[in-house]
Amino acid sequence: MLDLRSQEWLEPFLLSVGALIVALLLFGAFMMLQGIPPLELYSALYIGSFGTRISIENSLTLAAPILLAALCTLIAARVGLLVMGGEGAIVLGGLGAVLVGVALPLSSPLLGSLLCLLAGALFGGLWIAMAGGLKRVRGVNETISTLLLNYIAIAILNHLISGPIRDFSQTLKAQSWSIPSYFMMPNIPGWSVHWGILIGILVCVLLHVLLRHTTFGFSMDVVGGNNRAAQMAGLPITSIVVISCFLGGAAAGLAGAIEVVAVHGAASESLVVGFGYTGILVAFLARQKPLAVIFFALLMGGIAASGGLLQRRFDVPYAATAVLQGMIFLCVLASSALSGRILPERKSK
Amino acid sequence: MTEAGELGWWGVLFAIFAGAIRVSTPYLLVSLGETITEKSGRTNLGLEGTLVLGAMCAFATSVITGSPWLGVLAAGVAGASLGLLHALICNLPRVNDIAVGIALFLLGVGLAFYFGKPFIEPRATMLTGISLGFWSDHPAIRSGLEVNPLFFLGLLLAIFLQWSLINTKWGLYLRMAGESEDAARAVGRSVQSVRTYATVFGGFISGLGGASLSLFYPGNWNEGLSSGQGLMAIALVIFARWNPVRCFYASLLFGGASAIGPALQSVGINQGYYLINAAPYVFTLGLLIYSSSASYRLAGAPSELSLSR
Amino acid sequence: MTVLPPPTIELRNISKQFGTVRALDAVSARFQSGRVHALLGENGAGKSTLVKCLLGYYRADAGETIVDGRRVAISHPAEAHALGLGMVYQHFTLVPQMTVAENFVLGRGKIPLVVKWKDEQDQLRSFMAGMPFRLDPQRKVSTLAAGEKQKLEILKQLYLGRRFLVLDEPTSVLTPAEADEVLGEMRNLANASKLTVVLITHKFREVEQFAQDVTVLRGGKLAGSVDQKDASKETLATMMFGGGTAEKSRVAKPAAVADGVPYLKIHELIADGDRGTPVLNGVSIDVRPGEIVGVAGVSGNGQKELVEVLAGQRATTSGSILVDRQAFSGTRSEIKRAGVALISEEPLANSAVRTLSVMENLALRQFDEKPLSLAKFFLNRSRLAPFARDLIQRYKVRASSPFVRLDTLSGGNVQRVVLARELSRDVKLLIVQNPCFGLDASAATNIRQQIVDARDRGAAVLLVSEDLDEILEISDRILVLSEGTVSFETSRANAEVYEIGRHMAGAHAA
Repeated sequence: MLDLRSQEWLEPFLLSVGALIVALLLFGAFMMLQGIPPLELYSALYIGSFGTRISIENSLTLAAPILLAALCTLIAARVGLLVMGGEGAIVLGGLGAVLVGVALPLSSPLLGSLLCLLAGALFGGLWIAMAGGLKRVRGVNETISTLLLNYIAIAILNHLISGPIRDFSQTLKAQSWSIPSYFMMPNIPGWSVHWGILIGILVCVLLHVLLRHTTFGFSMDVVGGNNRAAQMAGLPITSIVVISCFLGGAAAGLAGAIEVVAVHGAASESLVVGFGYTGILVAFLARQKPLAVIFFALLMGGIAASGGLLQRRFDVPYAATAVLQGMIFLCVLASSALSGRILPERKSK
Repeated sequence: MTEAGELGWWGVLFAIFAGAIRVSTPYLLVSLGETITEKSGRTNLGLEGTLVLGAMCAFATSVITGSPWLGVLAAGVAGASLGLLHALICNLPRVNDIAVGIALFLLGVGLAFYFGKPFIEPRATMLTGISLGFWSDHPAIRSGLEVNPLFFLGLLLAIFLQWSLINTKWGLYLRMAGESEDAARAVGRSVQSVRTYATVFGGFISGLGGASLSLFYPGNWNEGLSSGQGLMAIALVIFARWNPVRCFYASLLFGGASAIGPALQSVGINQGYYLINAAPYVFTLGLLIYSSSASYRLAGAPSELSLSR
Repeated sequence: MTVLPPPTIELRNISKQFGTVRALDAVSARFQSGRVHALLGENGAGKSTLVKCLLGYYRADAGETIVDGRRVAISHPAEAHALGLGMVYQHFTLVPQMTVAENFVLGRGKIPLVVKWKDEQDQLRSFMAGMPFRLDPQRKVSTLAAGEKQKLEILKQLYLGRRFLVLDEPTSVLTPAEADEVLGEMRNLANASKLTVVLITHKFREVEQFAQDVTVLRGGKLAGSVDQKDASKETLATMMFGGGTAEKSRVAKPAAVADGVPYLKIHELIADGDRGTPVLNGVSIDVRPGEIVGVAGVSGNGQKELVEVLAGQRATTSGSILVDRQAFSGTRSEIKRAGVALISEEPLANSAVRTLSVMENLALRQFDEKPLSLAKFFLNRSRLAPFARDLIQRYKVRASSPFVRLDTLSGGNVQRVVLARELSRDVKLLIVQNPCFGLDASAATNIRQQIVDARDRGAAVLLVSEDLDEILEISDRILVLSEGTVSFETSRANAEVYEIGRHMAGAHAA
């Protein structure tokens, strides 16, 4: 018999991996219908994600924002909210980083990058905290409000980069002013991968400690598990919910800031490429466990990285990876039907 | 979008009015679909995906067959299929219907972009409008009052659904499933099958909204065709308090809000174009804040609905 | 219309096993046509299982059913309905947001595709004209009082042509007067040979007043079957509880006179219900240290909302709550300062977290205090298990380990976890709501004893219960909550059941 404490994470992990495998099989069948041999498909998926050094570097680079965006949904889920606002928080975080980066009269590269990242986290955090506050104060459904906030964030971005903060020297596409080049984050020595993924992993570990080993994390689980019990225990639910939403939004905002500080140097439509939605998927795969997010974010980063290779090799639209993600999502949700049935749970009579 | 130019500020008002009728159709159809689904006690948040997939299927079918009405049917079938998928997964134990909706949103959009790639270029046969502007000589008014046939379909459907909810067997079963699972079980009705039918039917109606986008207004197919209309329609259901006829009025209101941007643009106001286009989202959020309450259940909300807590 | 007498049903040697539990062991009973038959027993004695086997909700493992001399096999409720057998449930099966007429139509097997409401309503009115009780077909069920809902349930069965009715604890939510009216009418219908009635109950009073035959079950076995006229209370009690007399006889001693300053002072409290309309309309209650104040009332008159306000689960419109002479709004620091404990009904819904472990649920009140916490910020997880093991042992919780999820425990054990958590601290104010719902007699006795013990240690206790017997058994003062106000108050010594019942009925009095 397994230790009960290991069951707590082992079963959810097995369920998610199982769901992933089923989704990959379904995707294979889907592509086979269009004449693409499954084995070649899987080998392309592998080569495009983790098969070569370059693809590993691509996967890690893409995994960083996905991982942080996943935490947006995950942290809110711990207090019982279904937040879908990662995409919008990424955009706001990116804008925050640009605004601070452009305005700061600083010459220290390290301090400059750090302040840009903090500004991104602050912007993203406040953005999602707003949804948490609306939920508590007015009972506004957080899933719908955060999805709407995504569209509003994108509109704000488009408005700003089409005029107020537009860099008119860039004629190819609309983008904002650039942050000073010495604020740009370097790569990890020896790799063409920026520090984002390591920052992300560090955030996951810190979050694990917060959730597991602090009274605040305990309160979050009570609020998420049963609001009424939390009320009875006299916990300050509104603060707990708003702070949790802030933390989640801050993680996604950090993702947007990293994209600006480590990749683009400016804010543009490139911030709106679906990291937020892939993050939601990762949060569900990880079933609210921050450490599991690391693993699944790397996998999803890999799938995102292999999209280009699929497109080139089989001449399929880029949206193929979106189809695969949708399938994975459905399989993961369906697999919750099996929770509590994979590993024998010791029942006490 | 020049119709208002010659009419001056009256033209802006007229453009908003005409725009409201034109833009409201997808809102109307999606919100009717969602009302039926939610009345059964389930929420399908994936209707944005349904809308986009429906638009793509309608357009592609019209391109291939040359018949826009076959396209409309195809859109409905695509929506019904996504609805069926939603229902089947939600029938499993311990599955969260809202999360499944989000997954279907992503899958629907993914499938639409995947299969829709070859159809971005070609032109499709459009639905013919019904002319209500015959009394006017003014070309702007005439073209503004070319009304989408699906708009009338939606209006009739709203009235019919309202009547059916009270006066037919299926309406009674639907409301019972949404109001009390225990009561349904006691009379030997399967709540799951009622909800499955309701989600499939709701998906079908919502899919028609997609056809309205790609085959009437704006009348093309591209990846930016819908940006959140499906989602706003779901918020609209809350505002309309799960009442089909109120969905109709609310859709007109939303359509009007969405038409403000294009109408202002038509008289040459381009400042803050993106911000004005964000008006519907802000408006939706505002209505949501207005219609919700932290201390009691939403008025008219089916009791079994997880969306309303 | 009816020429044939209502059915006579005989059950022979019915057995039913659930997993390892033998719920019914070769039970036989005979329900004679046109008589009221009481099925008596404690919670868990097998009463509900027996009738559910009869009505096709369960399939018996062994035994036979004979209806009017013919052997029948009923494997689905629809088959029972076809034979004219019906059941009125303990928990209502009505759709609250629909009208009386809609509920009638929904209960029917066949509904026409388009319902002609005018015809339906005419038909209903003429049906009700011949019935002992009447209801307006156009009223929404949610606006009916509990007694009216019960009548609607019964009318629905009669409307559907059922001539053999099982009533499952029908009076648990009714005032004594409503109960007498409903059961009296059932008896009249039986006397007129229109109906055979099986009354599931654990109340002797109902058996004595309304039943003609009595079958007693104990622990899934037949304990006896007698004519009511030949059965004294004592013989019935012996059959129901076995050898010794009922444990109920051990009644709490009244408190030494409690006086002095109220520890809990609720003043003119007004609060809205779930639908946004006022449900508490100016409630004032004082509770002094060392007394149990029982709040009686029919469910739906504001009891749930009163407890929710005290638990910090519902906002108030106006009024004040003072605990220990200081304003109380249910924050964590106030709860700790004033020593407030709360035992609510349905703990999994109201006061515990099913997805967390037993250990975490036990720590809910103290996780931010030493020794479970370091500097109020860090949680010392290694201390949780020993802390929980101690409580599990002291309160005899049956859990295989402190790490199992709370919802793997049985209902009684979940309630024990809550008791352990709430009563193991220094309690100065104890709020209790229907603490014994769904528990068997010995578990209930144990919980009531613990409440009395808390009072004897000096706690002020507010007991909100729908079980009038429970209130009469342990309260020192009794209040009646009706339509959101306190309509009556009496001391235990002067308590008179009918007087209390009359006030419980409030404006709905017959």
